[in-house]
Amino acid sequence: MIHLAHVTKKFGTTRAVDDVSLEVRRGEIVALVGENGAGKTTLMRIAAGELDADGGTVNVEGRAELVHQHFLLVDALTIAENLALTHRGFRFTTRRAIEREAEQTIAATGIELRDVTRHVSELSVGERSKLELIKAISRKPTTLILDEPTSVLTPNETEDLFRVMRRLADEGTAVVFISHKLPEVLAVAERIVVMRAGRVVAESVSQDTNVNALANAMVPSLLAPFPASGERVAEGRVRGNITAILGVAGNGQSELAAKLRDDHPEGGHIPEDRTRDGIVAEMTIAENLALKSKRWNAREAAKQAERMIALYSIRANGPLQRAGDLSGGNQQKVILARELDRKPDLIVAAEPTRGLDIEATRFVHGQLRAAAERGARITLITSDLDEAFALAGTIQVIYRGRLSDPLTPEEASQRIAGLMAGVT
Amino acid sequence: MRRLAVAVLAAAAAVLLLAFSGALFGHSPWSLLSILASGSIGSRFALEGTLLKSIPLLLTGLSVVIAFRAGVWNIGGEGQFIVGGLAAIVAAPWGVLPSLAAAMLAGAAWASIASAMRLWRNAPEVLTTILLNFTAIHLLGWSVNGPLRERAGQYPQTDLAESALPLMGRLHIGIFIAIATSVVAWWLLYHTAEGLRLRATGFNPNAARWAGISVGKQIVRAMAISGAAAGLAGGIELLGVTHRLFERFAAGYGYSGIAVALLAQLHPLGSIASAAFFGALVSGAGELQRTANISSGVATFGQAVVILTLIVFDHVRADR
Amino acid sequence: MFELIVSSIPLAIVASIPLLLAVEGELVVQRGGIINLGIEGMMLAAAMSAAFAAQASGSVVIGFIGGIAGALTIAAIFGVFTVVLRADQIVTGTAVNLLALGGTSFVYQEVQAFKQQIPQLRTDPILPLAWILIPVALGVILWNTSFGLRLRACGEHPEALAATGRSVKTHRWIALAIEAILVGLGGAYLSLALSNGFAENMTAGRGFIALSIVIFGRWKMKGALLGTAIFGLAAAMQYALQAANRGIPYHLLLAVPYLVTLLILCGVAGRVRAPENLGVR
Repeated sequence: MIHLAHVTKKFGTTRAVDDVSLEVRRGEIVALVGENGAGKTTLMRIAAGELDADGGTVNVEGRAELVHQHFLLVDALTIAENLALTHRGFRFTTRRAIEREAEQTIAATGIELRDVTRHVSELSVGERSKLELIKAISRKPTTLILDEPTSVLTPNETEDLFRVMRRLADEGTAVVFISHKLPEVLAVAERIVVMRAGRVVAESVSQDTNVNALANAMVPSLLAPFPASGERVAEGRVRGNITAILGVAGNGQSELAAKLRDDHPEGGHIPEDRTRDGIVAEMTIAENLALKSKRWNAREAAKQAERMIALYSIRANGPLQRAGDLSGGNQQKVILARELDRKPDLIVAAEPTRGLDIEATRFVHGQLRAAAERGARITLITSDLDEAFALAGTIQVIYRGRLSDPLTPEEASQRIAGLMAGVT
Repeated sequence: MRRLAVAVLAAAAAVLLLAFSGALFGHSPWSLLSILASGSIGSRFALEGTLLKSIPLLLTGLSVVIAFRAGVWNIGGEGQFIVGGLAAIVAAPWGVLPSLAAAMLAGAAWASIASAMRLWRNAPEVLTTILLNFTAIHLLGWSVNGPLRERAGQYPQTDLAESALPLMGRLHIGIFIAIATSVVAWWLLYHTAEGLRLRATGFNPNAARWAGISVGKQIVRAMAISGAAAGLAGGIELLGVTHRLFERFAAGYGYSGIAVALLAQLHPLGSIASAAFFGALVSGAGELQRTANISSGVATFGQAVVILTLIVFDHVRADR
Repeated sequence: MFELIVSSIPLAIVASIPLLLAVEGELVVQRGGIINLGIEGMMLAAAMSAAFAAQASGSVVIGFIGGIAGALTIAAIFGVFTVVLRADQIVTGTAVNLLALGGTSFVYQEVQAFKQQIPQLRTDPILPLAWILIPVALGVILWNTSFGLRLRACGEHPEALAATGRSVKTHRWIALAIEAILVGLGGAYLSLALSNGFAENMTAGRGFIALSIVIFGRWKMKGALLGTAIFGLAAAMQYALQAANRGIPYHLLLAVPYLVTLLILCGVAGRVRAPENLGVR
């Protein structure tokens, strides 16, 4: 169990965790929900001992293991070797011995993962997620913390995961489940804690609450559902120009986006990984915005940048600010501005709202819809079902590098679970 | 600017460390420093010597600046310098301008071998450029012992080149060419769209690709320009100073360019001051060899200390 | 032509020992995620310190120990900058090479001990050591021990290892130490056994050639041995060609090793899979 009392944590001037008290008892499944940047991961990293709190008390009985959102697996090594990384000292081993040991470890956790001789690079994303879970559980923690475990799972794999969680809870482990997916949270957790801007803003037993109440607690203002009622005609054209390529991460989306980028250089392309592929962190906002321009003049570029900063609501100190200093959402806006400002006829957007808060997400969606309205054809590559169904008129599911036939949203919603698991 | 302060500190640290290293072997640090000073700036003769050495250093430094800015590891300045000299002496009968043009083309071509190998065979240019250095050194050795050997046949060197750069005392007009190159490089890097794209490629080739930049084209172009600058250095050194080729023609100018570029914080205009500093260091080291019998390897040692000091300062800065 | 090749084999086996030891050492370090471009300077420093130690003491064994000491010194400098300060490995390696180049020239000119005689190397245990014992031992260490597994993880995904509570830095330091011992032996062999003492810049690019062979061998021990054998044979044939007076000019023959290495790098092509984290700061 864990007992946190008045914990605070600052990163520079930002209060990532602001006077949070939280208790998780043995055998409980507690969900920690909130928007990106609410402080959930930071709080749990403190609980797991990875970070030190600046203030308050952290009381953890036994060990707390945190299963990270981003896998800490070595692709080039096998499943067995990854599990053997914890071995200390200088022991001679054989491949067979490591493999046998791995099979025993996996069996003890009750999770299914076959053939430990496979390299992690050969595993599907769901299997990698299982391996991370196995790593954590095999350490026999008293508290298990899962950070956004279902973001890369198919609906079936999600069910498997929930079964494991319930079993662990029955055996006495305290389980914390971080997520921003409200329906799932209500399905598996007994108690739900809502965080916003570093503080706990609501706590409830899951029987006593519902999605709307939780969403309200997560975000101060109510979301207007798309589309507004009086816009049916425009809606048709907008949706008609947007195709969503839907799929769980790791099924060939990156390769598809790169191919489209190379085949259509005249189009606007929004990469999946904005820090690695989108922004040149060391250059200024003005320079980043001008990368596709034919001519470069510092003063001209600064003026253009100021225009785009205003137009795209980019929160920055000015056109000469280092792009790497902006928040994720604002970096995404810079990329959008650069790609969309030239009004391309073709736009490919890969996971454009990943990691963004509600406000930034709405902005991105608004921009894409505006582009569609003026006639641009948009390919939206996403793993977010809600996003796909909210924006697109045509949906194709991607699985292991292959695309399904184009479907209408109605057709897709009926077959979605099967399609994402590879059933055609 | 803080970067300027870092550069000055690094240069000072290098000189001091050099002096005290000499103390380990029984030399007085003060006498070492005074010999360094007098050998580099202590007389009109010394100053001219310093400037003469600074000219090729500025050009090889610019060569490295352009390459590193594009994210390309061109360690081949030495070899590009040599083939520049070779091309220059072969083209010398046609005049100074054709000779220098040939030098630039040769340097660009030599560097392009490495960029071609990178694009087609994924061969890391950090290694191929170095291997090409050794190849060029032996190409030079063969030339001055064989086909280009002087008519008298006495020494392994060529005859005098048939053109020469106009002189101003001991100095030659190459100094203006070098400074002009520095200004052109600065303008290209910071005042053109392609320069912007080159710098973006150096900072983040992935993001550059996503912004529609052809990374391969940037690499090839940067390497070619980089090689041309180093080749030009060789041509100017031939036509302005040595007037003939011999085995030790390059004498480390290519590798020194790396230190020049790093001390200048990869800035084309800053390279002018940086080249002057290292020119002074080389001149002073020459004086050390003459008067105190200390190996001129101290200049190379000094370059290394400058680079390492810069790294330390960068680290300290980044931590704050 | 065939006789030429066969007659070059004995020379190749012996003359490529410094190179082979460098390849083996660099393989270990690169498996840990570090590119040590400064291996050239490391070998040069080792060659000098070995000669100095042997000439000053009169003992070959002391000479070899001196070589290792010289290499460890360079490794320490390189490690402080790359492992501790996490500086750019290429820039640091270049600086270390310049440091060793200038430093060895400087010391060589200063110290009197270099004028003395080089003690003779009586038996040659280094040969089976370099070609058989060390590759086998390193192979076992890298692929059949828990340490080797963790080191390889450092080269692929160090965060994964760090998450288990182990120190990535420590593993890389150990790899550098192993490389320094091997390169120290190689440099000592170069100045004490293959030559008659130290000469300026005597390594002549062996470090860079070693780097190329590691790539050619796809970061595996068997490939490293094969690459060194091919290169060593080609280099040794230089002398045979010279003696056979085939009319190839001496200076162009000197360029053969580097041209061969360039060809080796060409042969690598396309899908070379380096350790994922190699060279990343």
